[in-house]
Amino acid sequence: MSESIMKDKIKDFFKVLCQTEWNATVAGIIVALLSILIMAWWRPWGAVGAIRNWGEWILYGIGIFDHKPGELLFNSGSVIGIGFLAGAFISACLGNDFSFKFPPPWEFVKAIIAGILMGIGSAFAGGCNVGGMYNAIGNLAANGFTMWLGLVIGIVLGLKYIYWEMEHITWGTTGGKNFDFPYGLKIIIGILSGIALIWGAYHYAGMSDDYAASLSGILLISAGLGYTMQRGRWCMVQAFREPHMTGDCTLAKSVALSILVLAIGCAVLKYAVPQRGSAVAVKSTVISALEDIDLDEIQDEDLADTLEDIQDAGQAAVKGAERVLDPVNYVRGTFGWGGVLGGFLFGLGAMFAGGCGSGTLWRVGEGQMKLWLVVPFFGISNAIMTKWFKAIHMEGTGPTHVGSKLGMHLYLPDALGYGGTILLIVLAMAAWYIIVDWNEDSNKLIVEM
Amino acid sequence: MSDIKQAPEGLEVARTLDAKGLSCPMPLLRTKKEIGKINSGEILEVLGTDPGSRNDIPGWCARAGHEYLGEREDEGFIRFYVKKK
Repeated sequence: MSESIMKDKIKDFFKVLCQTEWNATVAGIIVALLSILIMAWWRPWGAVGAIRNWGEWILYGIGIFDHKPGELLFNSGSVIGIGFLAGAFISACLGNDFSFKFPPPWEFVKAIIAGILMGIGSAFAGGCNVGGMYNAIGNLAANGFTMWLGLVIGIVLGLKYIYWEMEHITWGTTGGKNFDFPYGLKIIIGILSGIALIWGAYHYAGMSDDYAASLSGILLISAGLGYTMQRGRWCMVQAFREPHMTGDCTLAKSVALSILVLAIGCAVLKYAVPQRGSAVAVKSTVISALEDIDLDEIQDEDLADTLEDIQDAGQAAVKGAERVLDPVNYVRGTFGWGGVLGGFLFGLGAMFAGGCGSGTLWRVGEGQMKLWLVVPFFGISNAIMTKWFKAIHMEGTGPTHVGSKLGMHLYLPDALGYGGTILLIVLAMAAWYIIVDWNEDSNKLIVEM
Repeated sequence: MSDIKQAPEGLEVARTLDAKGLSCPMPLLRTKKEIGKINSGEILEVLGTDPGSRNDIPGWCARAGHEYLGEREDEGFIRFYVKKK
């Protein structure tokens, strides 16, 4: 009797973990926690870094780009994308969501337009919805807010376009096909992919190079993000679109909460790590002690050399520890028209695609062929735009984007302090939450068909 | 989302919408448009492959006041049934 109850409970556990759609709020909080963890591990995550790297490989392969792009398996951006796709694929297999879904032909045309718009948009905004908005606000960068604004405008206009399309375009709008597999096979493939992922992480961890070894955590945390987003069907474009389409604000509220949790986590890391982290410890003890020694006065040459090496290593350690959490990083020079225009083009593209940067990738993982076509066009257009922008110094020069033509480089705590920044983000997210909640009942913001 | 609601067998359908292969938000928008073409009390059948529809269609029905009758699995796609209010 108790054995069969246990069996049922294990079945239920599998169902909750792998089959049922996760609650949006829970998914949003897990996404925020994983985003904080990946930042603590090494760097914030993004979708466009991977997609651009893959686009650069296509352009290099057909002879348009001369320089070899970053290695697929050793470029941290690309590894984030691979981990994310793997996580989404595993989730889709275990949950029986995976199948090759071929849309009607018109959807493929939209996929190409979508990819191009998203590539251009994310070049202007300094990232896609993740790096340019979600993680940008999370990194306390002002440019996240300008992209947020652009996204709202682009998505509302995109929705109007889709209404128009439904009335006026009849060519190629039916005849989609689906190629499914037995569920048992999907479960086996899902488990094998999970094993491959863990093997990959161990393989990275065993490498002598520090950079390569760190990719282990990047791969696994990204896979967690992909898994969570697919299982929760957690889609940022839906968060922006749904309040204007059906009035449903579940995802908008979830994204608002997720951004808030992320921003608090990032503020803690950015404020506290330089205060209490090893960099400061090294600086205040080892380096200051070594600075008191006059190397010229030491008779023993070997000892003098060793001490000099220790001094250099100490300084390198400080630099390394400060690098990722340095406010200069992951703030872009797009707080201005660049962020708004980029968000607008990206939002419009995401409406054509039916998925944002992250939403596109997890849908690729569940076999949606339309999104498979979005990715290469997104990657190619972003790679070309990024190369061009670099050549003309569109986003200015140096880590603080001096002379950016797209907008300001502003780390919010520099203007408002950490307290003021968190207060601003709390107020902005609360306002978003209240407005979409009010709209759910009043339907004032719904774009009628 | 709670457990999947199974539709009863042998429903009399007034209209069928083929949304196979379409991804979010197209299946729901097409459904919204098609429901305008049937009379109150009649049933619309939607053929879809997007796993998101399992949540979107019942959610929209609850919001718009239509009755969601459930779904039936077919070979490689799902049939959703909506009774117009």
